Amino acid sequence: MDRRDFLRTCSAVVAGGVALASGGLLAARASTKEGEVFWQIDPYKCTQCGRCETDCVLTVSAVKCFHANKVCGYCDLCGGYYRPNVKELNTAAENMMCPTGAISREFVEEPYFEYTIDEALCTGCGKCVKGCTSFGNGSLFLQIDQERCQQCNECAIARVCPSDAIQRVSDENAYKLKDHA
Amino acid sequence: MNNKKLTLLTIGVIVFYLCLIIAWHLYDPSAHFTESQPGADHRPAGHVRKADDVLIGEFFMQDNGQQTTDNGQPSTLKGEWPCFRGIHRDNQTTLTPSMKWVEGNFEEMWSVETGEGHAAPVISEGKVYVLDYDEQLSSDALRCFDLLTGKQLWRRWYRVPMKRNHGFSRTIPAVSNGSVVTIGPEGHVMCCDKTTGEMRWSIDMKKRFGTEIPFWYTGQCPHIQGDELVLAPAGKDTLMVGIDLQTGSTLWGTPNTVGFKMSHSSVMPMTLGGVHTYVYIGVGGVCGISAEEGSRGQLLWSASAWQPSVVAPSPLQISPNQIFLVAGYGAGGALLQVDKQGATWTASIRDSYKASGGMSSEQQTPINYQGTLITILPKDGGGMRERLAMYRPSDLHHPIWTSAADERFGLGPYLVIGDRLLAFKEDGELYVYQLHSSSMTLLRKQRVMEDGIDAWGPMAYADGMLVVRDSKIIKCLKIATE
Repeated sequence: MDRRDFLRTCSAVVAGGVALASGGLLAARASTKEGEVFWQIDPYKCTQCGRCETDCVLTVSAVKCFHANKVCGYCDLCGGYYRPNVKELNTAAENMMCPTGAISREFVEEPYFEYTIDEALCTGCGKCVKGCTSFGNGSLFLQIDQERCQQCNECAIARVCPSDAIQRVSDENAYKLKDHA
Repeated sequence: MNNKKLTLLTIGVIVFYLCLIIAWHLYDPSAHFTESQPGADHRPAGHVRKADDVLIGEFFMQDNGQQTTDNGQPSTLKGEWPCFRGIHRDNQTTLTPSMKWVEGNFEEMWSVETGEGHAAPVISEGKVYVLDYDEQLSSDALRCFDLLTGKQLWRRWYRVPMKRNHGFSRTIPAVSNGSVVTIGPEGHVMCCDKTTGEMRWSIDMKKRFGTEIPFWYTGQCPHIQGDELVLAPAGKDTLMVGIDLQTGSTLWGTPNTVGFKMSHSSVMPMTLGGVHTYVYIGVGGVCGISAEEGSRGQLLWSASAWQPSVVAPSPLQISPNQIFLVAGYGAGGALLQVDKQGATWTASIRDSYKASGGMSSEQQTPINYQGTLITILPKDGGGMRERLAMYRPSDLHHPIWTSAADERFGLGPYLVIGDRLLAFKEDGELYVYQLHSSSMTLLRKQRVMEDGIDAWGPMAYADGMLVVRDSKIIKCLKIATE
């Protein structure tokens, strides 16, 4: 084997090895989902400080209010729905706790109402969560919507969260839902 | 470019911008908005709520789903402080023989936040009950806690919009025969099952009896005698009523012939001239109403010679036929003598004086401890203002003992456990005194509330645990152990 053939053979071996190693690594990563971690809020640590709404890098925060129907008391006088000291118990805008009208409800039977969150309208301010947690069952809680979250290396909200409620979680725990507890 | 083309171009640009301006004016960016109007939740027309619609006890939440302790077992605690001033309505109790006082500082067992107010708790069979007020929901809320852990077991509440007036909550529930009864600041009476919180019945004293709720709201605590709830609505027509504890129906009523109005004082049971009597200080005077079977509800006597405009303390019997009356805001104290000759009753004021002239109290009801009267003097009590003081019933003008000049308690509560008196300074510091026949010795003091504010609600004791509160926090202290 002359010098040219030797170099050609060595190059082919190196190139083939690199290609095999890269393919193997990619396959291994795809099969184990290594690195798929998500930012998520622990609803039992959250104190509804309001920073989720203001500190997310997205213009409308990736944090949204979630509702656990199994936990909800279906109350008429809901602390997450009505703002404090309302004059009338009706759905007029001035009585609503949610500043964007993201919470709606439907009469079920006296005196119960079913509550629904319009995620597109929710800004993650947590006002309804605070109201529900302070007096209701705590069926309203904040979660990071993984469809919107940019999965920043350093979550801007986690950095300022006073209760250390935002942590990295694995894909099987991408959401911490109260009605799955 | 010639002039014609230039003119056309100029006109074209002007027309373009004119179209833009017209389009900008015609475009409505809020056209797709929907107004949030009443009725969006499709509440049926017949169920429209008004701000002042009070449906007593309409809401209920059970917190842990079961009436058990953390171990899943029903509480084994059997101690009782079931109503205002305890089992014997004298603000006194004892340690059980197997218990002894905790040496050193009392351990804090638990602490819970409350709405702003002074409503105090009661204890029954390992549970703590308090009628709280939730400002966010504008609601009176009866809350039931586990005595050992402070965990809330359930709450029942109803919406009553009110304005703050030295906080909101005021009164102490009464527990008896499986029921817990509360009176809200606006005179709403609610009776629930004490274990499950199930609603039994309710009364709106303003609607049923025409009660005029006093300034600073209702301070009256319910009194249960056997299977009967005794209320003093002091309304347009009714002075006092007996209510069936099981059904809420009226058993008897005393016509308000004396024209008294509701005060902040509570009905106190006494035996005067051998007759069981319900004594009540209303705005307008004092009255005694028969509690005897057969004549229950009959007005026996009344006296209007002493009638302060505001009365918070309840009457205190100091001898078989004498009652000590006291009120704040300069009213001072008075001695009422009630005599019975045949079927005739007489009630006369034998002594009365301003707050600085003798034994007096602004808010708390004094204690009659083995023939010695114990009080905290009011802020207008002269040089001894806000000090703890002891008097002999025979001389209400000269104390036989007062606490030191730096031991002043404001409007704080006090109670007797065995041979010790516990006084809770209104800023949240607990003082423990050894009681003697004519004096007290300070044993120790302990800061319980950091930056405590307006700790005016009476304390409750059972099973070695003392429950105290200031205007926003309830705490439980372990003061005695087996």
